[in-house]
Amino acid sequence: MPTLSRTQCHGLFVITAIAGAGALTLISLRDFQRESQSPKDRPIRSQIAGYVTSNACRACHPGNYASWHASFHRTMTQVAAPSSLPANMDQLELAFNGIEYKVERRHDAFFVHKRREGASYSDGQQIVLVTGSHTLQVPWLETGQGRTLEQFPFAYIVAEKMWAPVSQTFLMPPDLKEYYSIGAWNGACMDCHVTQGQSRFVQGNTWDSQVAEFGIACEACHSEGAEHIALNRNPIRRFKIHLTTKSDPTMTNPSRLKGPGSGLACGQCHSVWAFNNMTDKIDFNRHGASFRPGQHDLAQRFVVQPSTVDHSDQKDFIRRTEPDFFGNRFWGDGMIRVTGREFNGVQASPCFRGGEFSCISCHEMHLDTPDHADVKTWARTGQLKPKMDSNAACLQCHKDMNARLVAHTHHPADSSGSSCYNCHMPRTTFGLLHAMRSHQVSSPSVKESITYGRPNACNLCHLDQTLAWTAQKLHDWYSQPIPELSPDDQTIAAGIQWIVKGDAGQRVLLAWGLGWEPAQKIAGRDWLYPYLIYSLTDPYAAVRFDAWKSLQTLPGFQNFSFNYTGTDRLLSDAAARAYEKWLHEVRDPNAVYRPETLLDSNGRWQQDIFQRLRTERDDKRIFLAE
Amino acid sequence: MMRSIPRAQTIKKNAHRNLRFGWWSLLVFLSLGGALETLHGFKIGWYVDVGNETRRLMFTLAHAHGTLLALINIAAGLTVRKVDRFELRPSVSFALIWAAILLPAGFFLGGIVIYDGDPGLGVWLVPVGAILLFYSVARIALDLSKIK
Repeated sequence: MPTLSRTQCHGLFVITAIAGAGALTLISLRDFQRESQSPKDRPIRSQIAGYVTSNACRACHPGNYASWHASFHRTMTQVAAPSSLPANMDQLELAFNGIEYKVERRHDAFFVHKRREGASYSDGQQIVLVTGSHTLQVPWLETGQGRTLEQFPFAYIVAEKMWAPVSQTFLMPPDLKEYYSIGAWNGACMDCHVTQGQSRFVQGNTWDSQVAEFGIACEACHSEGAEHIALNRNPIRRFKIHLTTKSDPTMTNPSRLKGPGSGLACGQCHSVWAFNNMTDKIDFNRHGASFRPGQHDLAQRFVVQPSTVDHSDQKDFIRRTEPDFFGNRFWGDGMIRVTGREFNGVQASPCFRGGEFSCISCHEMHLDTPDHADVKTWARTGQLKPKMDSNAACLQCHKDMNARLVAHTHHPADSSGSSCYNCHMPRTTFGLLHAMRSHQVSSPSVKESITYGRPNACNLCHLDQTLAWTAQKLHDWYSQPIPELSPDDQTIAAGIQWIVKGDAGQRVLLAWGLGWEPAQKIAGRDWLYPYLIYSLTDPYAAVRFDAWKSLQTLPGFQNFSFNYTGTDRLLSDAAARAYEKWLHEVRDPNAVYRPETLLDSNGRWQQDIFQRLRTERDDKRIFLAE
Repeated sequence: MMRSIPRAQTIKKNAHRNLRFGWWSLLVFLSLGGALETLHGFKIGWYVDVGNETRRLMFTLAHAHGTLLALINIAAGLTVRKVDRFELRPSVSFALIWAAILLPAGFFLGGIVIYDGDPGLGVWLVPVGAILLFYSVARIALDLSKIK
């Protein structure tokens, strides 16, 4: 065997090393190609004309990218993965409506097996997408029908780290067990939960859905970026723009717009909208939205305002074909009552008519101001601009109000009664299991409560006062006429009327509102217990949930455990347990209850009146279509 | 003979100037490095926030280029002393010094005012400095190659 020289050995070593590295490169290339193949069983990210995705924006706009990345817009829809799904999914076993569900993990994929009670488990359906990440998370399953999705019937409540049937995370009649049918994600959810979605209906219930990007990304608000990027490769062009105050015409910046131009960038999703006609619907479904931020109308769609004169033919059509459409979304006077549709409120506000006011008057989509220290806090608190959680928001325009604040509010300047928000944007909208501030700036009145059933701002704080008391105050302070009031309105606290005999929409607002700290400070806490405990057995799951969470805000009940999705028997047992605990352990024996609260000196209800209110409960079916 | 003495002195003077400049420049840019570390240490948002990524990049480049060019100036001065018959042309000496000023200064000034992913106008000094650097390095390489 010939011996190799030192040089030959070195050469052989180098050749072997290069060959080995080459082989490894080929293997990784094969894996890369395999992973880059689009899955066939779920909506996919696709090359939609002009859209470049947030990855392309990142290099030049790192700060804006980072604040967007921290926001819940980004994670509105994500591809299912261990990092995007709730923890411990692989140990999940749930049952609902006679079906048992078991989740199995295979590597980084999760599969759901189902069975009717007593039968054997089906083959697994893979969890392919997940929507939400802030309040609720809902997984979506492959169906084997193209890219059509089926909802996993449970939602993960992030704050509680618990799973609940999706139907019990909405305010909907208790006999309704399903909310989203197969294909609903493709046909409806993706209209807003992705960037430039194209549902692409095929046939039957089969969809071939594609998106420019999962989640609400840069181009949803700034429009497609291909031209912007191509032209701005030229540094001279860029510096010309930097050195002027002009916007780059290849890109929309909603923060530089005012009124409708800015507001519709948000309102394209944050509104109740409908298609102009079937042609536009088909076009939207096939090609995605033709609206681009900066435009003053939604193109194929329109913002549905029940009280305005526009699009009357379309609204009549909606009334004929979907009689509950307006009732499920609006109060009787046309004010929006569901969350996520804030632009309806903004648009209907008197402030909006000035042409300046829009979403970005108070919110910012990027951390443009250096006062913010914590991007996570900013993301969790509505992406408000600094100080916009205070009167500073309204004082931007109503500058004179600062000097006459107390004269206007008739409340101490530093009290919750002098907060613009509390009186003019009370929590009369509901969604995602909690009450949220109305975004229609309005003034409180008793009439709104009597005529439309909407809790007024005064009694949402002064829970223990009657409507008559409020009417008198509004008359004395603002010369509002005193409406005709029923005997109950004159003797029983408005809050009690709403939570006992109101409809589910009123009850849920009060179940949340009784846990609101400013109201507790004003109206007292002692009398709230029995009403919240009573609401633990409400027929509507959302009411029970909020009653539970409000009960936990009260002394002695911080750690009170309660399964709001339990059977009637379990709910009753829990309520009885809570009542006994309050009556014998927590209740202050010296507490004094106002007569308007219907409690006697022992903390027991005036049974005749209370039972009458119970029987008068408005049991009309309420479904709030968030 | 009469002319070679002043020329030799001039060359020596140039080399000494580059050496002197190089050491002072090294001190300046090492100090800048220390300042940047301090900004990191105290997590100064103006420097470390993700929205100021461009500023951080520019200042880092200013520090790196300033330090490297200081060493090049020192190396040029030492090369004159070490290599017989090698002359550092006055234009090269001048270009090396100005490259060592303009390149890092361009990065530094470009980082003071930033436009998202773009540096400020000061960054336009960088290509001028780069041309001077390229000229001087190429000239030194050519001149060294001519020496037998």
